[in-house]
Amino acid sequence: MAGSLGVGPARKEREAQGASEHARGVVARAEEVFLGRDPGLCSEIPDRTLEKMNCEMGGHQVKVFGRAIHALARISEELWLDPTERGLALRSVNSCRSAYASVLFPTSFFQLYQWSATLQICDSNMPLHLKCKLGMKSVLPIFRCLNILERNVEKCSIFTSANTCRVIFQLFCKHGIIKTHNLSFQESEPLQAVFAKNMCPNILKVQSRLLADIMIHFPLSQEEITLAVTPMKVCFKSYIEDEIDFAKCMYTEMHLDPDEFDYFQIGVDTEVTFCLKELRGLLAFSEATIAPVSIYFDLSGKPVAFSIDEMVLEATFVLATLADVQSSRSSPSSLCLSQRLKRSDLMKSKADAGDDLTNTEKESSTVRAASKRPSRHERQLDATELESFYVPAVKRLDTHIAEATENYQVYSKFCSLFFGAVSPKQHDFNHPWINLATVSDSEEDVSNGPLSQVF
Amino acid sequence: MRFRAKIVDLGCLNHFTRVSNTISKLAKTCTLRLSPDKLYFILSDKVANGGVSMWCELGQGNFFDEFQMEGVAADHNEIYLELTPENLSRALKTAQNAKTVKIKLTNKHCPCLTVAVELPSLSSSSRIVTHDIPVGVIPRKLWTDFREPTVPDFDVSIYLPVLKTMKSVVERMKNISNHVVIEANLKGEMNLKIETDLVCITTHFKDLGNPLWASEDASQDRDSENMAEARIDIKKLLQFLAGQQVNPTKALCNIVHNRIVHFILLHEDVSLQYFIPALS
Repeated sequence: MAGSLGVGPARKEREAQGASEHARGVVARAEEVFLGRDPGLCSEIPDRTLEKMNCEMGGHQVKVFGRAIHALARISEELWLDPTERGLALRSVNSCRSAYASVLFPTSFFQLYQWSATLQICDSNMPLHLKCKLGMKSVLPIFRCLNILERNVEKCSIFTSANTCRVIFQLFCKHGIIKTHNLSFQESEPLQAVFAKNMCPNILKVQSRLLADIMIHFPLSQEEITLAVTPMKVCFKSYIEDEIDFAKCMYTEMHLDPDEFDYFQIGVDTEVTFCLKELRGLLAFSEATIAPVSIYFDLSGKPVAFSIDEMVLEATFVLATLADVQSSRSSPSSLCLSQRLKRSDLMKSKADAGDDLTNTEKESSTVRAASKRPSRHERQLDATELESFYVPAVKRLDTHIAEATENYQVYSKFCSLFFGAVSPKQHDFNHPWINLATVSDSEEDVSNGPLSQVF
Repeated sequence: MRFRAKIVDLGCLNHFTRVSNTISKLAKTCTLRLSPDKLYFILSDKVANGGVSMWCELGQGNFFDEFQMEGVAADHNEIYLELTPENLSRALKTAQNAKTVKIKLTNKHCPCLTVAVELPSLSSSSRIVTHDIPVGVIPRKLWTDFREPTVPDFDVSIYLPVLKTMKSVVERMKNISNHVVIEANLKGEMNLKIETDLVCITTHFKDLGNPLWASEDASQDRDSENMAEARIDIKKLLQFLAGQQVNPTKALCNIVHNRIVHFILLHEDVSLQYFIPALS
């Protein structure tokens, strides 16, 4: 299983090729690169397949950019540079597919942002992304000492060279020193977590400072924490796996008043458990910005998303949560809700968009009925976005871990996230940031999804 | 058995935090003994901790605004707990701007020392953080293992130089040797000495002064220039010098020739004793 994960998304694309008409052109191209598995082959790829990217940013922006790299480095060893019309996105997925992070720097972040997509002629007229996967180990050293960088770097430019698989990071420092880093990249389709924020019944918006203040109470050795909510109370507590461990580990619990949150909407009482390591990465990053962090979550087992949304950047971290099989079975209310969600999952995989649309709208409005302060979040439910929500389900490229769906004897486990390719379809350029939600919730779900694969 | 205590004053909280930080630097696990007037952190000399022992005593009145306890029995009104001081120090460290800190003995999944911290918040109600620190309750038959150590029949007693200075000296010596010879006489002189095949380094301290003890019979007939010495593990010494955060008003050391070095730090109502055995 581990081996198959290591192969990378392109392989999965190949396997999904038959069903995925839209992505055919992409797949064929990815194969060229991946079959050889030799980076040297990259240079032989004809020019038409390479899109150009060129962006420049100032000294202060370099620091922000570097911080994002540091935060993503907590997630994974790999980093995707994904230039789009809206801006440059950085993405990371961890090796066990339980955490995903992306940071989008809009075009306004850069002094210069050039991005050109050439038209692919073979199948359809869709523009193609630059598919650029870099090793974190090679990117991180460029942005090592951020404070020094901020002081010394006057300009940083990042661009791809036309016919080699190289990204070039150029730092223009004081006294006319220019540091050039040539990083060769692997051509690989960037993944993004399939997660619909607007489907989440629970939304908390919190100042990043407060979130950091909460986390300092948990020891660094604490791996997972649980967030438990009711409409009256929010509680963060340490997650201790074994009863025996209670006698060994310190157990910490923190209770907060709903008033402390900038936005507080609890549609369903729930407890979600997620890894603290990745969240700490986000916190180190958000400390620098004054923007609040929004937390979107659902029942245990469904992913939790942390997102920062501000003028200069958008960041989303999606983390898998522990599925507590027994507790969801024992509690009748949550069971009924999860069944309903399962049903919608099944319908989704059939991709019958017209019918589902109304269903989902109904569903989300019932879930939302308990909303305390309906506000601008309601806006996110508009029709076009729901539409975009369904389209990529057709060519959803599912990757998940066998344990997550098969070992039902296990008391609780992390559900892996679903990932889709960052779609090359034109439609998505309008909403590249809308993620789509499905969760490996039940076995039926897996068997019904024609594209799903269990490794 | 019952125990609950409350700290309101920030100064007291800070002071108590520094004591628990010190303990956590000196011992992985230790015994917390509670009595109606005093708290004790005890590390008894076992082979596992290299023969080192520690005795830290603090008056509860100086730290706590409320302090209620009920021991095992009326005639044995004490509680002995086994505790990882690291946990306590961590719980207190993040409570530095707290409105109140309550410490109580609870029985949740196991016996716990629960530290409940009330923190100021952005809203009208406070943030409440609770830490359940697992503890072991030590049965009465084992209490005798944790008796207060007697001050050894020392050859020389001397005030220590500024601990920071001593620390930076020992820190450098540690890179060269694993052992240090600590020697002192009754003229207020103390030397720290390391010897290896290649080099021999001695740091001399002068005019430190010798404290007066009530029973000076042993050292009375001693030649004031004669050095009493002990060779000790340099890591243990450094752990003590680097770990202490009590800013003692008085620091002294007693040396029993070739047997043991006994350190005493005093600060207001806190006393910390630390014993390092001499190596043969």
